[in-house]
Amino acid sequence: MDEILRHIFSAGTFNQMLRSATPVALAAMGGLLTEHAGIMNIGMDGMILMGAFIGVLGSYLCASAAMGVASAVLLGVAVGLFFALFVVKFKSDEFIIGCALNTFAAGLTAYLSRSIFGLSGTSGHDIAHLPTVHLDFLDAIPFFGEILNDNSFFIYLTWGLVALMWVFVYKTPCGFWIRAAGEKPETLRTAGISPERMKWIASILCGICCGLAGAHLSLGYLNGSFVEGMSNSRGYIAFACVIFGAANPAKAYIAALMFGFFDALGYRLQSYISSDLTSIIPYLITVVMMVYVVVRGQRKKTTLRTNTTAQKE
Amino acid sequence: MQRRKIDLGYAASLLLSIALAFLIGALILAVSGHAPLNAYTEMVKGSLSNARHIGDTLEYAMVLCICGLACAVGSRAGIFNVGGEGQLLLGAVVAAQVGVAMEGSPKIVVIVCAALAAMAMGGAYAFVPGVLKVKLKVNEVITTIMLNTVAIYICQYLAKGPWRNSNPNIIAGTENLAQGYWLARPIAGSKLSSAIFASAVIAFLVWYIMQKTSVGYEMRLTGQNPRFARFAGLKTDTIVILAMLVSGAMCGAVGMFRVYGAEHIFKSSISNEYYFDGMMVAMITQYNPAGIILMSLFFAFLKIGAAGMEANAGVPNQIYLILQTVIIFFMAAQRGIAASVRAAAAKRTAQKEARARLAEGGARNG
Repeated sequence: MDEILRHIFSAGTFNQMLRSATPVALAAMGGLLTEHAGIMNIGMDGMILMGAFIGVLGSYLCASAAMGVASAVLLGVAVGLFFALFVVKFKSDEFIIGCALNTFAAGLTAYLSRSIFGLSGTSGHDIAHLPTVHLDFLDAIPFFGEILNDNSFFIYLTWGLVALMWVFVYKTPCGFWIRAAGEKPETLRTAGISPERMKWIASILCGICCGLAGAHLSLGYLNGSFVEGMSNSRGYIAFACVIFGAANPAKAYIAALMFGFFDALGYRLQSYISSDLTSIIPYLITVVMMVYVVVRGQRKKTTLRTNTTAQKE
Repeated sequence: MQRRKIDLGYAASLLLSIALAFLIGALILAVSGHAPLNAYTEMVKGSLSNARHIGDTLEYAMVLCICGLACAVGSRAGIFNVGGEGQLLLGAVVAAQVGVAMEGSPKIVVIVCAALAAMAMGGAYAFVPGVLKVKLKVNEVITTIMLNTVAIYICQYLAKGPWRNSNPNIIAGTENLAQGYWLARPIAGSKLSSAIFASAVIAFLVWYIMQKTSVGYEMRLTGQNPRFARFAGLKTDTIVILAMLVSGAMCGAVGMFRVYGAEHIFKSSISNEYYFDGMMVAMITQYNPAGIILMSLFFAFLKIGAAGMEANAGVPNQIYLILQTVIIFFMAAQRGIAASVRAAAAKRTAQKEARARLAEGGARNG
C-alpha cells in the first residue's frame, strides 16, 4: 500500500498533472473571455481540434514547429471571426453554432488528415515538434525540480498567459468593457462602446487561445502527431473549468490543474486497475466540480440572506 | 395562413442551405483533388442504387429519427439532452447482456426484457443530469457531455472485462447474441430490421403527444417560459425530469434496436456518435417532430451515401459531416442573414433617398 501511494504521489504524477492541465488551461483562458462577454461557448472543443490539425499541418509543410504554432494562431483568428459572425452578427443560437462547430471540426480535420496524410494519419510522417526546455538550476532542487523541468515551452507560456489574462480582464479598459458587454450591455452602449465589438474581440481572442491549446496538444503533448478526435472533450472540460473558476483566470487555471491531477492519477492507477475505469476519473470529477460550484454558490446566497435578515432583527 | 407562410419560407431557406452546402462540398472536393460530380453520383448510388443500400439508409434514418426525437422531447421542455450517446451505448450493452444471460428463454420474453432493460438504463442515465439541472441548476450540457465519455469507457470496460466475448479474436465485444433472438430482416443482406416498425410507432406516439395532447402543450410551455408555466400551476420540475427520462429511454431503445436488429453483439460499432447526428437533425428542424422524421431520411442518405462514395470514389467519408454542419450553420443563421440583408438594403434605399433629397435641395438653392 505504501509503495502504491509513493508511486501515485511521485514527482512524475505532478509533472503529468502539469502536462495534462496545460491544453485545458490554455483553452480555458479563451473561454473565460467569451464567458465574460456573455457568450456560452460550447464550440471550444472544435476550435482546439482544428488548431491541433492546422498546427501539425503547418509544421509539416514548413518543417518548423514554430510555423505550426503560427498557423494555429492564424486559424484561431479565423475561427474566432467565424464564430462571432454567426453568434454576434447573425444572432444565431450559440449552443447550436457551438455544437455544429464541433462536428464541423471533427469532419473537416478527419477529411483533410486522410486526404493529406493518408489513411494511417500522421504516424508515418516526420513532423517537427516543440522542444522541451531544460533549466540547469532546477536540477539542484530535488522534488520540485523534477516536476518543473524538461517540460514543453508551452507550460511556462501558459503561466505567463494566466497572469497576462488576469491583468487584461481586471486591470485594462478593454477587459472591463468585455466584462460589461456580458453583464450590462446597454450601459456599455450608453457609454459609447459597442458591446457587439467587445464580443467580436472576445471571440477572436478565444479562437487564438484554443488554437494555441490545439497546437500544444499535437505539437507538444503528443510530439508532432494528429489523431482524429484528439481534443477528446478537452474543450468541454475547459468550459467546465471556466464555470468552476467563475471566469477568473487564476481560479480557472487551478481548476485545470485539478483536472490534470485526476488525469495523471488515472494514468498511475492503470498499473492497478483497468485503464477504461481510470479514464473515467477526470470526466466524473468534472461533473462533481460542476455540482460543487453550484452548491457553493447557493450556500453563499443563503448565508448572505440569513445575515441580512439577522441584521434587520 | 400565417403559419403556412412561415413554413414555406422555412422550406425555401432549407432547400437553399442544402444547395449551398453541396456547392461548398464540391469546392472542398475539387480543392482536395476529387471530381465533385463523380463523388456526388457515387453518393447517390451508395445509398439508393439497390434494395440493400436503401435498407441500410432506412436503418440509419430510423436511428437518427428516434435520436432526434429524443433530443426534441428534452429541448421542448427546456433541457438539452446532449448525453444521448451515452444513454444509447449503455442501453445497448445492457440489452446485449440480457440476451446472453437469458439464453434459452422464448424469443418474445427476451426481446421484451431487453427492450425494457435498455430503456430503464437509458432513462436512469438521463435522470441524473435531469435532477441535477432541476434541483441544483447544474448546466446539463456539460454534465451530459461528460457522462457520455464516462459511458463510453464503462461500456468498453464491460465489453473487455466481465462481459467479454469468449472468442479471443473479438477484443472489445460482448458474447454473440443467439440467432433465435435476432429481429427479422425484411431485406436480405441489409441491416434494416423489424425494429423500424417499433420505431415508427415510437415516432408516431412522440409526434402525437408533442403536437396534439395537453401534455405536449405543457411541455412546450415549460420550455418556453418556465416562470409562467409555474405560475399557471404546472409542476415544471416534474415535467422536465419526465422529459429527460423519456428522452433517455428512447436513446436506450435505439441501442437495443442496434444490437438485436443490426449488429447482434455489443461492440464499439453500435454507435459512432450517431446521437449527435440525430441531435443535428433535431436542431435543423427546430425540434419539429414531423420535420425530424423527414430530415433524418435526408441525413441517412448523406451518411450511407458517403460510405459508398469512400468505397467507389476514394473520397474520405467525413465529407458528410461537413455537408451536414454547413446546412446547420446556414439554417441557424437564416434569420440573422435575412435581417442583415434587409438592413443593408434599407440602408441603401435610405442613402439613395437622402442623396436624392440633397440633390433636390441643391437644385432649389441653386
